Parts: sequence; C-alpha cells; structure tokens
Amino acid sequence: MQGAYLNYAAKRLLQAVVVVLLTYVFTFVVVSILPGDPVTNVLRDPQNGFTEAEIAQIVAAQGLDKPIPVQLWNSLSGFLTGDLGVSLRSSRPVSDMIAEVLPSTLRLAGAAIAVALVLAMAIAYGARFLPHRYGGAALRALPSLFLSVPSFVIGLLLIHIFGFQLGLFMVIDPDSFWATFFAAVALGIPISAQIAEVLMANLDHEASQDYADVARARGLRQSRLFFRHLLKPSSLPVVTVIALMVGEVLGNTLITETVFGRTGVGSLIQRSVVTQDLPVLQAIVSLAALVFVVINLIADLIYPLLDPRVKLVGAAPRRVTTADELSGKVSA
Amino acid sequence: MASQDGLTPPLLRVDGLSVAYGPNEVVRDVGFELGRGKSLALIGESGSGKSTIARAVLRLLPPQGRATGKIAFRGQEVLSLPERRFRPLRGKAIGFVPQDPGNALNPVRTIGAQAEEAAALLDERDPRIRRALILDTFAQVGLDNPQRVYDSYPHQLSGGMLQRVLIGLAVLPRPALLVADEPTSALDVTIQKRILDLLSRLRQDLDISLLLITHDLAIAAERTDAILVLKGGEVQEAGPTAAVFAAPASAYARKLHADVPALNPDRYAVLRDPGFARLKTAAPKIEVAGVTKTFAVDGRSLTAVDNVSFAVPAGTTHALVGESGSGKTTTIRLLLGLDQPDTGGITVAGAKLEGRAPTSLREAWRHLQLVYQNPFTSLDPTWKVESLIREPLDRFRIGTPRERADRVREALANVGLGEHLLSRKPSALSGGQRQRVAIARALVLKPDVIVLDEPTSALDVSVQADIVGVLLDLQATLGLTYVFVSHDLALVRQLAHSVSVMHRGRIVEHGPVDEIFDRPREAYTRTLLDAIPAGLSSRPTARTVTRIAAEELA
Repeated sequence: MQGAYLNYAAKRLLQAVVVVLLTYVFTFVVVSILPGDPVTNVLRDPQNGFTEAEIAQIVAAQGLDKPIPVQLWNSLSGFLTGDLGVSLRSSRPVSDMIAEVLPSTLRLAGAAIAVALVLAMAIAYGARFLPHRYGGAALRALPSLFLSVPSFVIGLLLIHIFGFQLGLFMVIDPDSFWATFFAAVALGIPISAQIAEVLMANLDHEASQDYADVARARGLRQSRLFFRHLLKPSSLPVVTVIALMVGEVLGNTLITETVFGRTGVGSLIQRSVVTQDLPVLQAIVSLAALVFVVINLIADLIYPLLDPRVKLVGAAPRRVTTADELSGKVSA
Repeated sequence: MASQDGLTPPLLRVDGLSVAYGPNEVVRDVGFELGRGKSLALIGESGSGKSTIARAVLRLLPPQGRATGKIAFRGQEVLSLPERRFRPLRGKAIGFVPQDPGNALNPVRTIGAQAEEAAALLDERDPRIRRALILDTFAQVGLDNPQRVYDSYPHQLSGGMLQRVLIGLAVLPRPALLVADEPTSALDVTIQKRILDLLSRLRQDLDISLLLITHDLAIAAERTDAILVLKGGEVQEAGPTAAVFAAPASAYARKLHADVPALNPDRYAVLRDPGFARLKTAAPKIEVAGVTKTFAVDGRSLTAVDNVSFAVPAGTTHALVGESGSGKTTTIRLLLGLDQPDTGGITVAGAKLEGRAPTSLREAWRHLQLVYQNPFTSLDPTWKVESLIREPLDRFRIGTPRERADRVREALANVGLGEHLLSRKPSALSGGQRQRVAIARALVLKPDVIVLDEPTSALDVSVQADIVGVLLDLQATLGLTYVFVSHDLALVRQLAHSVSVMHRGRIVEHGPVDEIFDRPREAYTRTLLDAIPAGLSSRPTARTVTRIAAEELA
C-alpha cells in the first residue's frame, strides 16, 4: 500500500503540474491571437497621455516587441518564479495587486464552503430523520429550490432583510463579520444544494444496505446509526464534489462581491476586463487554474486514505469490495 | 411446540401475523411458537415471506411495511411497543445473523469498531474487559487470530470469516433468541457446514433459541427441532422436524422434498443421457492440456490455475467442482478465450483456442457459448426477450431477418417457453423464465459446447429442477457437450458424466462421476462430499457437536 500510494501520488502530482502549465500556455495563446492589439490600445488611450516614445519604451521594457514564443517563454518563466508582470494601467506589480485583494476573497470563499457543508448536512439529516409532520420529506425539495434561485437574488434578499430591515450589518462596511457572513450564505446556498443532493442520494443508498439493518439489529439508535455508520461512507463522494465545486465558488465570488460591494479578486477581475489590463487577467486566470488543480489534487490524494476499500492501480483508484476480489483467493 | 410447562409463556409466540406492503399482503395469518433453547426453521422459496417474518420479529421492516397480529417475546407483546421501548431488546435479547456476510458490516469501519457496539450492550463498564470479551468471542467462533480480525476492515476477510464475525457479534451480548436469515446461502458448501456446526454448538453452550430462515429443506431437517413450511406468505405445514420431514402432509412440502438433489439421489439421474460409454469411445470435444494462468496481485504472483488438464468427450457433461478461489472461474474464462493461458493448450471442436487474435476467437465462440449463473444480472433489463435471443445472430450476421426470427422461435421452443414472451422484458419474467431465456440465447447459434457457470445457484430449488430438466433434455436431443461448474455436489452427481475436483488451482482428482463420488481418493473430495447437508440422517447430536477445527485459511 505504502509504495503504491507514493507511486499514485507522484503520478497525480505530475498530471497536475502539466495541467497548470497547459492552462497558462492556452490563456497566453488565446490572448495573443485576439484581434486588435489590446496593449497598444490601452497605452494609446488618450486618457493615459503617453507619448509615442514613452509607449515604445514601455513596449520594449515589457518585451512586447519580441516574437510570441519568446514572450510566452519570458512570461511563463516569470510565472514559475513568482513574477506575474506589471499592470498596464497602474504600472504596479500584478502580484502586489492580487495579494491585496486575495485575503478578503479567501475569507469569503472559505466561509461559503463552511456554510454550504453545515447546511447540506442539516438538510440531509433532517430529510432522513425528521418526522413527516415536522417537514422531513419537504426538506428533500429544498436543494432544487436553492439551485433555481440565482445567488445574487439571494444576496439582494439577505441585504434587504438583514442589512436594511434588521440592521444587522452596514452595507457601507462590507468587511464586518455579519456582512461577510451573509455574503458567505448567499454564495454557499447554491453550493449546499449540490452537496446535499449527493449526500441525500448516498445516505439513501447506504441506509438500504444490509449493514445498516444489521447495525440496527445490534440495538443502535438512529442518531448513532447516522453519525457512526452512514455519514462516513456517504460523505466520501462529497470530497470529490466539493473539489469540483471550487470552480463554481470562484466564479460566483465575482457576482457576490459586486452585490455586497466587497473589494476582492472578483472586483479586480471586473476592473481588469473593463480596462483590458492583460497581465492582470493572465495572472488571475492562471492562479484560478492553479487553485482548482491543487484542490482537486488534494481531494484525489486524501480519498484513498479515507476509503480503506480503494486499491491503487497506476494513477487511478479502484474500489474493491471483497477479499476474494482483492486476491482472487480467500485470504486470511 | 407447546411451552414447556404451560405456565411460563414460550420465548417467542407469533399469532395471526400478517404483513403488507401497501395493498400487497406478503404474509398472511402466520402463527408459531418457539420455546426456550429450542430451534425452529421457517422454510420456503423466494417470495414465501420467510424473511419478512424474521424482519417483523426484529421490527426491521422497511417503512412502508405494516405488520398486524401478535408477536409476543417473553410474554410481552412487541408489535405495539413504541420504538423507544423495543430498541433495548434488539441485540441484547434478540440477535440477528444476516444472509450475505459480504454486505452486512460497514465497509469503511474496522470490525473492532463495530464489535464495540455489540459489546456496549453488556453491562460491563471497563473498556479493557469489553475488549477482552470481544477477542474471546472471536476465538470462540473459530477465528484464528482475533486481534488481527479486530483491526481488519470487512473487505480484508473472506465470506466465511465475516459470517463468523457476525455470529460472534450476535451472540456476544448473550441474547435469548437468535434470528438467522439464510446464514449460509452466500457461502461455500464446506464453509456452510462449519457455520451450521458453529451455530448448533453455540446454541447448546449458551442456551440460545434459534429461528432459522432457510430455503434448504436438508439444512432445516439437519439443524432444527421444528419446521414451518411457507408458500406465498401462508403456512403450508408445521410440526416437529422428524414428522414433517419423514412424511410431509401437504403437496407443497412433498414437492419441496422431492426437488432437493441431496435428498433424492435419482431425481435427475434418470433424465441424464446414459452416455457413459462415450467417455471411453467418443472423440474429445474439448481438450485442455497443461494450462497455467498466473495473476499479479499486490506485487505477488498468484497461480489461479496450475497445470490443469481435462478432456470432455462429445455429448457428455464434465463438471468442475471446488470451493470459491479454487480456480473454477479462471478455468472457464480460459476455456472461453476471455483470458489467455500463460502455458498449455486448449482445443475446442478440433480448433486451437490459445494464442488466437480476437477476430478469429469470434469464430470459436459460435461453437462455444456461456450460460451465466445469475439470470437477474445477465440479461439487459431494457431489451425485449426477442432482441436478447436474436443478438448473437445479429452479431454473427447469420441468415436473413426472417430466418433469424425463425431461429429465435426455435430456440425459445427448445427451452419450453411460449412465443407470447417474445415482446416481454426481463423484469416481467420469473427467475426460471429468465434463465431459460439465457439458455435460449446460448442455443440460438447452434453451438456444440455450452459452459454452464452455476446455472441454478441463484434459483429456488423447484426452479432448479425445472432448469436442470431443460438442460438434460437439450443434451439428449441435440447432443450438446456441457462444461458444468458447480459447488452443489449432490446435483453434479446426478447431472455430470465426468468430474474434476479443483483445489487451489489444481485438479486434485478426476474421472467418471460415480467412481470419484463413491470412492474418493483425496481427503479434499471427501470433505466436499461430507459437507452436503443430508437431512435427518446426518443430524448432529450433542456429542458430535464438538469444538470445530479452525477454518482452513489460504
């Protein structure tokens, strides 16, 4: 197992590195072949007031007059050493600009995933064990409702009720605890719906397995059955779902940050798109890919550790269910 | 079956029990009594309601199931008890041993963690003593290395070991009643015997009453004091085992008795083609010579099939018998060309099979067909019967559409099914009908050889009788050659002409079936034959139920 796991981890790590590099190259190429020349467009913008000589100087300094492959090489080696280039608009290092807004976004995204997890677990537990008259079965419909309401609508509702009506937070102070909390709720609700769907389906499946009945025949009460027997096997696939959800969280952060008036990566993207600040966009897209790949890598790496049945074959985990399948023979 | 002294109530008394799923009544007006220290078998085929009764006693019916009537445990009515008051009885007073040990333990928790739940039912506060009791119980049920079992996950143990664990967990809190729902139907015949021996011994040592649910009349006769025969949710017959077994009064019990191969040595043998002479004279249809196959598992190499040779003369049946893991399945996969042997040669109908390219294997498959053991999974549920049977003809582009339709009808008639079934889907068929469809699909190419991989093991005994009849009939009329894989030696004895006994990848003994079964030379063959439940004649007494030997672990 030990050697097989290291082998598997090394292969997955290598795959992840390749994916990140390809994403970087892909974004770079797409930006390069776009019609028009955004760089000179931005620099020639009369508002900036650069002279032709200054423009030529900036172009030379940024290496923009070199052939595309050379530019790609320079940009990629910069990315790998942590140098993300310089903004065309503010002339500040891109890494500084991102570092400024990243903590706020990470706080929001992290809080949103936590909210989503708690909410999903509550829905799944309630749907399974709440008696009918307390709305147990009705909870099953909740995820579809959550999914069909866009998160900005939820955000606006939350601001209206808790911000304006109840006065729990001030809209002009978006970094306060309650403001962050409700932004996370708005962002987390659609995510929780998808986790809850997976969790409920898996709970139904696990609860119908023989071992659940056998455990009940051993005298276990419902809550113990849920937490000790059903929750772990049902949440294993959730690990994968959350990892896949990260992309959606990143995308929705943009909208939520706008709705709640927060400064974050979302607002930085929005500004860069409007002003065609290519180095910033390139850096953010590549970082987003990096985050996505790393989270999925972590999920893939911990999955075999969580599920004792998973047997590693090359770079792909495979689930075995019996000793006979594991060895082809009855094992001791 | 009356209570011992008329004053104390029987341990379990069921009166007028009916269970319904919605409008569907699956158990109707069932009543029985089980005294302290006694055993009772509920026997019947699938759909007879026997497992439903067991679940009603444990109050583990699915939410839509409704039980009415009376179930009294130690004189206390339990059906009307609120869940909160019934739960303490579960495990502590009523233990449960499930049917499929492979699925009865949580796969992502260790056996120890689940054993602690059972130990928590004891009034023992010291965790170290609880732990010691668990390990003691594991040793008591014949598990060799209790500590290792405690630390294992379920998938790391074999089915026989898991069933021992489950029995151990059930008896650990010292219940007065043990409900065992087909505790051995998922296990090999030799392991079945050891598990049943274990249950008999524990019952005597610990004075536990046993409610045994089984479909096997021989097991019921061998292991219980009283029998209740069920069909379609209704009691057909009830009484002391010896009486019911020796002289069944109801027609259904008589049929049940007559269809069990182990109890009726000539039931199927008379239908077998008397082609024993061909064993010596006919040219071999199948020749397997010195075949070896090795798999790499976790870096170790495992020889699944080791220098196996046998020949099957045309028109005869050759049986491969042995326990799980003995190499039967690998052997037939090699024979079918699904895997390639490392060394050795396989010839079917004069054509070499090994080392062939997949395209030329297709040609061989026209002469070589498979009937899989479980007709509930081997037929695509979205296809109609007609398409299922016609598929091989379509794949091999045989004949015009009209000829194909004719051959489908012919194959269907051969297995005794009516044409009105052609437009049905598998879900609308019974288990026996499905297996007939699977056989028809194998027949439609007019093959010479059919490989039968435990073709009746997923079916009820009366359905098995039916399918065996069809198979023997086809052999007699079409001159088919069968390779028959089975662990049911009583059936093999009546169905096959020659037999190979496999053990750990090797053929330990082979020859004409009478010779091998009447005068086995190998101890392993004798063990297999001794494990066949034989009804009253092999009933273990208190003295013969001694401590069983530790399970042989490979």
